[in-house]
Amino acid sequence: MTLFHFFNCAILTFGPHAVYYSATPLSEYDTLGTSVKAAVVYLATALVKLVCLATFLQVSETEVFDPYQEALKAMIGFIDVAGLYFALAQLTHRNISQNHKFQAVGLGWAFADSVLHRLAPLWVGARGLEFTWDYVLQGLEANANLVFTISLAALGSLMWLRKNKPKTLIPIIYTCAVIIATMPSITSYLRRVMGWHFPKVVGFELMTSLVMAFISCQLFILCQRPSL
Amino acid sequence: MAEEKNSKQRHHRSMLLDSMYPVVALMLVLVACVELCDAATVVDVYRLIQYDISGVPFGSRFSSLNHHAASLSFQHGADLSRSVLILPLRELDIAFVQDYISQKQSLGGLLILLPQTFRPGYIGGGETQEGLRVLLAQLEKLLLRTNIPFPVYFAFENEETDAMLADVKKNDALGQQATATTGGYKLVISVSEPRKIASPTITNIQGWLPGSRADGESNQLPTIAVVASYDTFGAAPALSVGSDSNGSGVVALLEVARLFSTLYSNPKTRGRYNLLFALTSGGPYNYEGTQKWLKSLDQRMRESIDYAICLNSVGSWDNELLVHVSKPPENAYIKQIFEGFSNVAEDLGFQVSLKHKKINISNSRVAWEHEQFSRLRVTAATVSELLTPPELLESAGSLSDTRQHVNEDSIIKGVKLVAESLARHIYGHQGKDIQIFADNSSLAVNRFYVKSWLDSLSQTPRVAPFLSKNEPLIMALKKELEDYTAEVSIQQESLDGIFTFYDSTKASLNIYQVASVTFDLLLLLVLGSYLIMLFSFLVITTRGLDDLISIFRRPPSRKMKIV
Repeated sequence: MTLFHFFNCAILTFGPHAVYYSATPLSEYDTLGTSVKAAVVYLATALVKLVCLATFLQVSETEVFDPYQEALKAMIGFIDVAGLYFALAQLTHRNISQNHKFQAVGLGWAFADSVLHRLAPLWVGARGLEFTWDYVLQGLEANANLVFTISLAALGSLMWLRKNKPKTLIPIIYTCAVIIATMPSITSYLRRVMGWHFPKVVGFELMTSLVMAFISCQLFILCQRPSL
Repeated sequence: MAEEKNSKQRHHRSMLLDSMYPVVALMLVLVACVELCDAATVVDVYRLIQYDISGVPFGSRFSSLNHHAASLSFQHGADLSRSVLILPLRELDIAFVQDYISQKQSLGGLLILLPQTFRPGYIGGGETQEGLRVLLAQLEKLLLRTNIPFPVYFAFENEETDAMLADVKKNDALGQQATATTGGYKLVISVSEPRKIASPTITNIQGWLPGSRADGESNQLPTIAVVASYDTFGAAPALSVGSDSNGSGVVALLEVARLFSTLYSNPKTRGRYNLLFALTSGGPYNYEGTQKWLKSLDQRMRESIDYAICLNSVGSWDNELLVHVSKPPENAYIKQIFEGFSNVAEDLGFQVSLKHKKINISNSRVAWEHEQFSRLRVTAATVSELLTPPELLESAGSLSDTRQHVNEDSIIKGVKLVAESLARHIYGHQGKDIQIFADNSSLAVNRFYVKSWLDSLSQTPRVAPFLSKNEPLIMALKKELEDYTAEVSIQQESLDGIFTFYDSTKASLNIYQVASVTFDLLLLLVLGSYLIMLFSFLVITTRGLDDLISIFRRPPSRKMKIV
């Protein structure tokens, strides 16, 4: 029975990635290689982030929100953005359209993130006798994360790969990118300072992810217009 | 054309986004409404004792448990063979338990919840009602005398168990008994099956305080013995602290030893009697330890014992203390001893009465400790508050025998009685109005000593088969006697005879909140439909609605194309 629960949570956490790959034209153009490369870049970025965090951050015993520490964490979070830039701009991909490139990179990135952060707790925890909602919420969080990553990848591709953008839209693009990149800090702020419980935080993440996806979609389409 | 396609895409997208909002909102509402379940709780539980008398099994014969929880509100005729019944003491119905056991109905397990006031070492107010104590005593008696084929555990109420019980009752009242398909609470105790204790040891501790022998006296000095048995027996051996039976006796003996050691330390006040203090084990089992100890004594030493005073339960009496004897009251020695006691009692302001019970040699039951002495022709008497001789394995430290119901004043009065009457006999002051151990003198009974030893003993379970050879308690008692007497010796024997004991007395109970299979299936359904919706949404937005339809109707469209 409990393996059943593990299975449920696993398909909630990793299912959407597979569905996204198979549903969109990504599968037709066989962009799996791109996704795999993006996943590898994510692993390298995670390693670099780990080293930086271990070196520069002090571990506090209590759950106190220290602005200095949080600012440091946010700055280290930008290493994520650098990694994404590397994956989008520097890696050589086969000839796939820009439209699909950012989706493939975002998908690979999000999948690696889910596996690294959520597979181990899921395997260890969801198989126990005790039932908690934690793992279902974690799966929902993984979904929100997928949407965030794809939006960030979209905005990233707009920023670095598209040369002719309408001038008015540039600040909006950059603001949205900054918001998405600092999402982890925002959620930790909510959890510690405002004292929000996990379900509330996950709900907030889902809503924001949809809003951000919508905005970045609109931005992408607006930017696409001049070139056509 | 591209513009058209774009606008069409946008239209589709916004349409679908609009329809997604209520679904998302509903999901969020669902998530917010469902309470976060508690994490697993762990509770200390104590198993009912498992023992055999001459091969006949008694007590609970199993120890591991892995079943759903059920409460008393279950529907009649429901099958409880795979459930653990949780019974709080406050709502216990002895008749129900008796029926259940006597009809041999199968039960997964029994968990009895006791109020916190019965916990050894419980400090804090809250008088335990007399009714609860009586009920507990009845329950113990019932459980000890039956062969119970399922695990029985005792636990103390706390917030977590209260919350769990309330939940279980609510579910049971609704008719949803907890099984694998309906969810609920699962109680798991994972311990190995109980094994026989190979050769349980009983340890007797004796302290010898020699008297002063005048030069030229070749005969051995007479001896007076003060004896108390220190081990207990109860329904839950890990909770058997026996504050009154016989913690009070042990404390009284230690205090008497301390007083006489002060007297005897000065050669001028050393009496012409030797004193022998003995803390015996094996009390509940027909005083087997006392018998073995007596037999191990040198015969000359045994013959030199003038008389022995045994102490048994002197902690909760008010006005009357009883002296039990087995020799007839007309016996000169008994008369002398009793007169000594009554004179002192009169001075101290309470009463002593003499009770005579003949020994039946053919009956192996030894109800009082002095009977073991009498069987070896040594004069002895038991000072106790108990009116009637206790039955086998009763009044030996039950669950209701807690520190709260023992009064230090009673023990102090008992100590004064024994010490004064011994001293008057030793120093030849019978009948004189002298108080040797007067209050506020250097030989006063030390109230703090009595209280601290009583508190300490009331937190130490002392069932003999479960005490190891070097148990801290035994070492502590030995050290204490060493402080007060000249020679201390320990005798360790194995408890043979008709009793067999099994281990596994304490365990940890894990309480899990489990979800039913139907919940998992429901969740699978929801997730499946979510993934299908996500798939359709993505196909529609990225490839167009036609593509989605084409996935499901591939063969006809191909045929149409060919045509």
